[in-house]
Amino acid sequence: MSDVAEKLAICVERGKVNKSAPYPPDLKDQDGADEIARQALESGVEPDQILEGCINGMDRIGEKFSQNKAFVPELLMAAKAMNAAMVHLKPYFQSGQVKRKGLFIIGTVAGDLHDIGKNLVAMVIEGGGYEVIDLGNDVSTEKFLNAVAEHQNCVVGLSALLTTTMTNMEGTVQAIKEKYPDVNVIIGGAPLTQEFADKIGADAYSPDPQGALAFLNQNA
Amino acid sequence: MNSFERFHKRLQGMPVDRPPNFDIFMTYAAHFINQPLSVYYQDYRVLCDANFAVLEAYDLDIVQAISDPYREAADLGLPVQFPEDAMPVSTEPLLKEHADFNKLRLIKPENGRRMHDRLQAIQFFRERAGGSVPVMGWVEGALAEAADLRGVSQLMMDLFEHPDWVTDLLEFCVDIEIEFAKAQIRAGADIIGLGDAVASQISPEMYEQYALPYEKRIFKAVHEMGAVARLHICGDTSLILQQMAKSGADIIDLDWMVDFAGAAELYADGPALCGNFDPVDVMLNGTPERVKKAVIHCAQAGGPKSFSGAGCEIPDKTPHENLLAQTQALKEFTVSS
Repeated sequence: MSDVAEKLAICVERGKVNKSAPYPPDLKDQDGADEIARQALESGVEPDQILEGCINGMDRIGEKFSQNKAFVPELLMAAKAMNAAMVHLKPYFQSGQVKRKGLFIIGTVAGDLHDIGKNLVAMVIEGGGYEVIDLGNDVSTEKFLNAVAEHQNCVVGLSALLTTTMTNMEGTVQAIKEKYPDVNVIIGGAPLTQEFADKIGADAYSPDPQGALAFLNQNA
Repeated sequence: MNSFERFHKRLQGMPVDRPPNFDIFMTYAAHFINQPLSVYYQDYRVLCDANFAVLEAYDLDIVQAISDPYREAADLGLPVQFPEDAMPVSTEPLLKEHADFNKLRLIKPENGRRMHDRLQAIQFFRERAGGSVPVMGWVEGALAEAADLRGVSQLMMDLFEHPDWVTDLLEFCVDIEIEFAKAQIRAGADIIGLGDAVASQISPEMYEQYALPYEKRIFKAVHEMGAVARLHICGDTSLILQQMAKSGADIIDLDWMVDFAGAAELYADGPALCGNFDPVDVMLNGTPERVKKAVIHCAQAGGPKSFSGAGCEIPDKTPHENLLAQTQALKEFTVSS
């Protein structure tokens, strides 16, 4: 990995957003992900290296999260730093000069308005190099189907926090698999288990964002 | 032995006829009496009727005024919607900007529509069951309340980026919660439960700094008023078990991911444990035999002061026979132990 990519990976992993950000204290007054990405692109660094730095930084913090060495606040700060760098890559994504690994469509299922778990997964997947389409909360089966119809090369992620709404997953999973059998569907959320995923016909279950990313890296 | 005696004796590790059943009921209870959740959460009479119905049906040992997390926040001005038969929803945070904190004003529980409704629930419980069944009130932990007002994700980042602002907000929240707890005890609550769900999502160091000191202050006030303190943190709290014991809670709920026997060993002479079988995998989706096995396992693992309960709320649509299996298992546990 180049120097720029490594510096960026450190900023993302540590949640250093920009120079004026007070966090983390030991990096105070130093350039953050925002400045490093912008200056690197201005000086001719390949945009792929910026993406590589983001992916590595998110991978490191995601790994720590899976191992209980980092927690939700750390993950959110890393995602904020990643987004500060990714803003500068937007034109390169639009022109096709930088390509994503694949497309991930995610939403919290119908009846469920909780979004923190879904958001964390979306951040880690995006940080893993994928384009993420976030359908939001309380997403109907029809809305998932419409999104998949537009992007049939995607992987779909369904989230549920409540025991009362996890049962709504079954209908959505079955509708997607019936119409688009080749589209992989992964589910996650506090009350879910692998057994439940098997029962409703989902392709995978992950208890954490890193597991979802690993599934995409193998199957997207 | 009535439920009140059973509760007090168990708390002191004295012999009882069976371990008390302290399951948390909300959604299930509302639907048990065919009431939509919007009514359950807003009308104390419905909440009380539902509690008495499940109390009788399943030989519970508690009536509880726990509901959604937005009682205090709604009275402080948080916009909360009540879908006909779903959980209340907060669609936008009250504290969108840091400066919005300056608009917050302390409110007396008696003057808040939703907090007052809870006080009425407690009075109603007290009048109908006081002295025979323990009456439990409920408050948010200061950190959970701050998350209700600011939004979870934003507050989580504020912990790093604006720690002084968070501390000011927590100081405000703890005052609200202490006053609310005191008002509930005056209304007749024997137990004050404190929910601090967001505390399981932060590091042990952050828990020590941003959750524990405020839990301690609320429980100190609860004890000064002569009530019992119960700490409930949803999720995996394995990493903060030792700190949770320092909160001063008399009863600590543990969610199903936590090693119950290990916690009982850790807490040997400390707080009583409540839990902790899986509410979904065991209670909602399991068989009566599996429920019985899990209930007995927890009663054995939790030791002589433990209370029986699912790791978190009893899910809606839990099979009737599974709840009866818990009741039966607790009775049989005494016979066989």
